[in-house]
Order: sequence, then C-alpha cells, then structure tokens
Amino acid sequence: MAEEEINLPSLVIVLLVTGLAVRYFFFSGGGNGASATNRQPGGGAALSPEELQRRRQREREAAVETIQQMFPQVDRRTILWDLQRHGGNLQATTERILAGRTETPPITFQPPPPPISPETTAAQQQQQQQQQQSASATKSTEKTHPDLITRYNLKDKLASTEAEPATAAPSKTGGWSSNREERQSLLQKRRDQMIIEARKKMEAKIAAEKAAAEAAASGGNN
Amino acid sequence: MSLNVAQRRLLQEYRSLTNNPPEGITAGPISEDDLLHWECLIQGPEGTPFEGGVFPAELKFPNDYPHMPPSMKFLGDVFHPNVYPSGLVCISILHPPGDDPNHYETASERWSPIQSVEKILLSVMSMLAEPNDESPANVEAAKMWRERRSEYEARVKASVRASLGL
Repeated sequence: MAEEEINLPSLVIVLLVTGLAVRYFFFSGGGNGASATNRQPGGGAALSPEELQRRRQREREAAVETIQQMFPQVDRRTILWDLQRHGGNLQATTERILAGRTETPPITFQPPPPPISPETTAAQQQQQQQQQQSASATKSTEKTHPDLITRYNLKDKLASTEAEPATAAPSKTGGWSSNREERQSLLQKRRDQMIIEARKKMEAKIAAEKAAAEAAASGGNN
Repeated sequence: MSLNVAQRRLLQEYRSLTNNPPEGITAGPISEDDLLHWECLIQGPEGTPFEGGVFPAELKFPNDYPHMPPSMKFLGDVFHPNVYPSGLVCISILHPPGDDPNHYETASERWSPIQSVEKILLSVMSMLAEPNDESPANVEAAKMWRERRSEYEARVKASVRASLGL
C-alpha cells in the first residue's frame, strides 16, 4: 500500500516532466532562440519520412557539389551512382575517382535533377537564366544551317549565270576522267549546277505563284 | 598507291555514279584523299513537299565497307519522321546485316554487300516521298505528319525555300 502511495505522485511528476519536454521540443514556436537551435538535433525522431528523405537528399547534393568542385570533369550522374553504391561516403568516392575506379552508371539510373537550393539568391537565378537563354540562343543559331548558296559559295556563280544564261547552258557533264583533279572539279561543277538549277526553278515558281496571286486579286477587284 | 577493299569498292562505285548518275543524285568523295567520306546531293522527289529542294548529306563509310553499311547524315534541315533532328538518317538499308532483333525489318531489307551507295540514295529519296512512321526517328515530325499533314507540308516547303536562300 505504501509503495503505491509513493509511486503515484512520482508517476504524476514523470508524466508532467515528459509532457513539458515534449511541448518544449515540438510545440514551441520560433520565438525562442534556444528551441530553434535545439530543434534540429532533437527533432530527428519526430521527422516525417519525407522530411528525412529530403534531408538525406540535401546531404547528398552537398556531397555531389563538393566532389564536383574537386573533379569538374566527372559528371553528376557518375558521382551520384558511386555515392549511392557505396553508402554515400564522400571520402571513399573521392578516392575511387582519384584511382579512376568509378563505374559508369547503368542507363536505368536516373538521379533527380539538381535542386535549386533556397540559398541561391534571386540574382543568381536570374544570372543562370540569362546564361541558359544565351546558351539556348547560341544553340538555336548553331542548329539553323546556312542555305545552300552560302554553303557552297555560289553567290557569284548565281549572279553570273543570271547575267548570261546562254553560256550557262548545262554542258552535259559526265564521264569519268582519268585525272584525279579533273574528276574532283567535275563533281564540284555538277554539284553547283544542281543547286543553281534548283534555285532558279524555285525562283521561277515563286514568281509564278506571286503573279497568279496578283492576277487572282486583280480579277477579284474587277 | 595501294587501296584496300573498301577504297577499291568505293572508287568503283564513284565511277559508276559519275558515268551513269541517277536522276536527281550527285555523289562522290569530298576529297579523293579520303574515299571513306562522301558528300552527296539529293533532289526532293516531285509531287512531295520536298519537291524543288536539294538536300546535301554526308556519307561515312566504315573501314570494313561493304560488309558494314555507311552512316548518312543530312547537312541541312530535313524535317522528316525518319530523320533524327541531328540529320542522321534512319532507314533499314543503313542497318547492319542480319535480322532485326525487334522484327521490324527482314534481313533482305537491311544492309548487305550487294547493296550500294546508289541504292541507299534511291532509298532515301523514296523515304522522303513516303515516310515510314513505324519507328520514327523524329517523333515531332512523325506526329505532325500523321495528325496535321497540311501543317507538316507547309513546314517542309518553307524549309526547302529557306535552304535555297529564298
């Protein structure tokens, strides 16, 4: 009986202390500086799985960034693969890269894209965007090919054949020359001719279309 | 100057293409110093949106030609279901010999030493006229070709004119 009497108040005290502790750790707002700093190490147990995952990812990103600073030539996927394969040990991965023993990740390994960390300021983001834009701009200019006239330097030839169409009458080129240089120049000539002819035909076609459209328009007016 | 099998064969093909050029095709090595690297021009087939256009392409032959096929890449814009955005051409005659593991193509459609540059170029010409949308290389082009044909044709026509500097 005596035991119970002693136990009951102590039980109450224990419960009270635990309750206070829980409240202190998890429900105190940011107003208290001490609790804010304490929250990170103390709150680990109460973190949701997603939060944990996010934190792990952040740590991994930090590791990747560190390694990429040391070895800019190694690509992100390889680093992530190695980290994943070997338990995320930064030092071990560094050593493997130094020894050239990293494996190429399988195609199925698709790491998440690098997150935009909240630390990067808006200015930095803007800069990145500008860089990306200029990169894509240069890319698109690279992708558009020069037209054939520019490509084969046919501007002069085109002009000369326009001036005197009679001389440019397609001399039936053909036949295999035993001379290597001659063969080369004949091939080039045939190539140029093909392009110039195509260009002229297209010019004529466009002119005809225009004339037809104009005729139709004037016909409509009358 | 001793030529190996591939070079001898290519020189012979070059010769026959020069003597009897197929309609709308000009092809030959860029320089005879390197017979494994050709450049060719293909005319757009008539009655197609490619009509009137001339399309330059490069052919790269492997050292073991004619056992293995060359690769072909258009050097200008060719918006076509069977041409990768990079210009690389994807047709069965350019695929290595043997049966396709995916069973899209039979062995007879694929490359074999009895094929030739001329046959490749003619196949590419007919590919321009009739795309094969079973295994598209350019998904965007394939989709547009299938679903919005007039838009596809307008786009090709515009690029043909642009390629002639008009």
